Amino acid sequence: MNAVEIQHLSFRYPNGTEALRAISCSVAEGSCVGLIGPNGAGKSTLLLHLNGILPETLGKESYVRIFGEPVGRHNLDTIRRTVGLLFQNPDDQLFCPTVFEDIAFGPQQFGLSARAVNTKVQDTLKRVGLCGFEQKSPHHLSQGEKRRICLASVLACEPRILVLDEPTSDLDPRSRREFKILLRQITATKIIASHDLDMIAELCDHVLVLDGGTIVAEGQTIKLLNDEALMLAHGLERPHSLRHLHPHG
Amino acid sequence: MHIPDGFLDARTLTLTTGLSATGIALALWNLRRILPPRQIPLIGLTAAFVFAAQMVNFPVAGGTSGHLLGGVLAAVLVGPSAAVVVITAVLIVQAFIFADGGVLALGANIFNMALVGTIGGYGIYWLVRHVVSGLRGQLMAAAFAAWCSVVLAASSCAAQLAFSKTAAWGLVLPTMAGVHMLIGIGEALITTLVLVAIAQTRPELLAEPLPVNGTHAFERLAFGLLIAIGLSVFVSPFASSKPDGLEHVARVQQFEYKTAEKPIVPAPLPDYLLPGIRSPALATALAGGLGTVLMFGFAFLLARTVAPKQEGSNNR
Amino acid sequence: MHHDFIDRYSRLNSPVHRLPTGLKLITALAFLLATILLPAPWIGGFALIAFILLGLAAVSRIPPGFLASRLLMLEPFVLGIAILSLFQPGGGKIFFLLLVRSTLCLFSVLLLSNTTSFADILRVLKRCRIPGLLVTTLALLYRYLFVLIDELERMQRARAARTFRSSRWKTWQVLAAIAGQLFVRSTERAERIYAAMCARGWKA
Repeated sequence: MNAVEIQHLSFRYPNGTEALRAISCSVAEGSCVGLIGPNGAGKSTLLLHLNGILPETLGKESYVRIFGEPVGRHNLDTIRRTVGLLFQNPDDQLFCPTVFEDIAFGPQQFGLSARAVNTKVQDTLKRVGLCGFEQKSPHHLSQGEKRRICLASVLACEPRILVLDEPTSDLDPRSRREFKILLRQITATKIIASHDLDMIAELCDHVLVLDGGTIVAEGQTIKLLNDEALMLAHGLERPHSLRHLHPHG
Repeated sequence: MHIPDGFLDARTLTLTTGLSATGIALALWNLRRILPPRQIPLIGLTAAFVFAAQMVNFPVAGGTSGHLLGGVLAAVLVGPSAAVVVITAVLIVQAFIFADGGVLALGANIFNMALVGTIGGYGIYWLVRHVVSGLRGQLMAAAFAAWCSVVLAASSCAAQLAFSKTAAWGLVLPTMAGVHMLIGIGEALITTLVLVAIAQTRPELLAEPLPVNGTHAFERLAFGLLIAIGLSVFVSPFASSKPDGLEHVARVQQFEYKTAEKPIVPAPLPDYLLPGIRSPALATALAGGLGTVLMFGFAFLLARTVAPKQEGSNNR
Repeated sequence: MHHDFIDRYSRLNSPVHRLPTGLKLITALAFLLATILLPAPWIGGFALIAFILLGLAAVSRIPPGFLASRLLMLEPFVLGIAILSLFQPGGGKIFFLLLVRSTLCLFSVLLLSNTTSFADILRVLKRCRIPGLLVTTLALLYRYLFVLIDELERMQRARAARTFRSSRWKTWQVLAAIAGQLFVRSTERAERIYAAMCARGWKA
């Protein structure tokens, strides 16, 4: 079964901007899919549809299905438990006064007991390598640490699909490397939107190229990213790592 | 205007804490009815905004500077009930993290700034806005209301100090109100300019205050409160010179301060007490009234000056 | 981040810091009440309170210079109001009493705020059944205060970098525009936070 299936999805913001035009695509379970395209292509908007934050209302023949379930008002709880969304800006995602409360937020909403929440927070912190950070406030963390806490806050909900919006922007090379290692260890289905094409090349086996609200190309990562003409036509470029043919890892 | 701990007696503290708790409970209750869930984070963010905006220093003269207080600004931006919660939150954080304003006196400070200042100010805003239309009317209303809110809050603060016998009413009111009639001009200017800036980038944020329906009862309540405050401000100077007046400090100290008023105290704000009027109470009230009328005119001119041209005939 | 100095010492690890938050809050309140209710002639009582507070300050390992400077920074506000009390019969005595009382109260609150993190206070408030909306507002205020101050600073710096000479009126307009911009950004951020809360299963 496909983890995500999208049919004919269009979306227009209240101010009239047409962000998505009749998008259809699917993501196989267990795969890691890259979503690339120029600024304003509609990447973030598309991601917001995956766990039902957008839209308020859906067109008739269009749908977003998560493991076969069409996303709708009635099953938002399950959908949001299934799909974890990592936002572009850690300051938007970490909205609690302390790290503990932030990671506990999801599990608490899903009705776990206080003790279970506590264990969950400890486990998740260990997973992202930040044990002992419970009582810190987000404003005391470095960018790299913030990103990892964001990831922890999503992982604590145990999503089967992990959706990441620009997970490595504003990270220094070391934090980026560490973050990529973390991502690789996660077995859930992953959808990564990013301009970091080297990371996409490294992590993803499949790529969707989005421009002007439509999917303009789709296929195997290495093949697409090596297509210089396609890359340049959509505000991208052939990643450095592929030019020199020395695959990392 | 943040009263530190130690200035108010137990009686005043209990009274103001009770009144504030009731006011906040009412505001929260009202919000629960009218606030859509997606606006909940906005209240917290508005509180953070007001707090941060208070840290912007506006140069005045000779190295001094003033800053925003933000009660009316918040009320115009997110509605009166939400503004009560916003200013309350700001005051709580200021008291607990910065020790700015007392912890025991929190009730009193919330009463002055979040209730009297914000709701009173919003009441005036609402009144003026219904008289003068358009964005210009909105700006003028905000300017005048911002000034009034500061003066109202300061007068309420003065009343508490007098009620606690910390200072004599006949002195503390003219001083507090007088100083804040000047500070209020800054508040009016900043509030208006910030609103203009918002109107230029995102006019829709001003077009429709947050609580669309169900505000009527609350607005009427605010209106009633406003009249009460207005009365107390203009009537209380007289009351204090009578034995059955607002508080018995006056009774005890009436003789002394009446004689002390002019010769010993070189009137804290000389232009505030009008010359040629014998009763200091009458002079206070008249000066207050005159100041209010002047400010109304100033607000009118200010709105004319700073309103963005193309938005002249915006919403009602 | 630049502004973590604001609550820097609330994260120290001393016997006072480790005390349960509820206990600290109640103790602080008790100190405040005692200071306010103590009749004026009982100078010994005030001295005792001051002595205990100094002892607690010593145990808390907060640098004394920091406490003293904070106290001095706040004292002008106290003086400003206390001076008003001078102009009444027996004013000198009242003035002195007010000064002693408010200084002791200030000291108690400074000790509390520098030995207790605000997140802990919030937790106590939540347990005390303070309405959720108020607690949420406080939590968001505390969380985003630092973010917004940084944002404000960046905007002011960007303005300064492009300003060469300007009138006072112009300066006011520009500063107000920055504040307005900050509000606009705050509303946009609030939308994104709402999305982030929903994404993790939030129900109002």
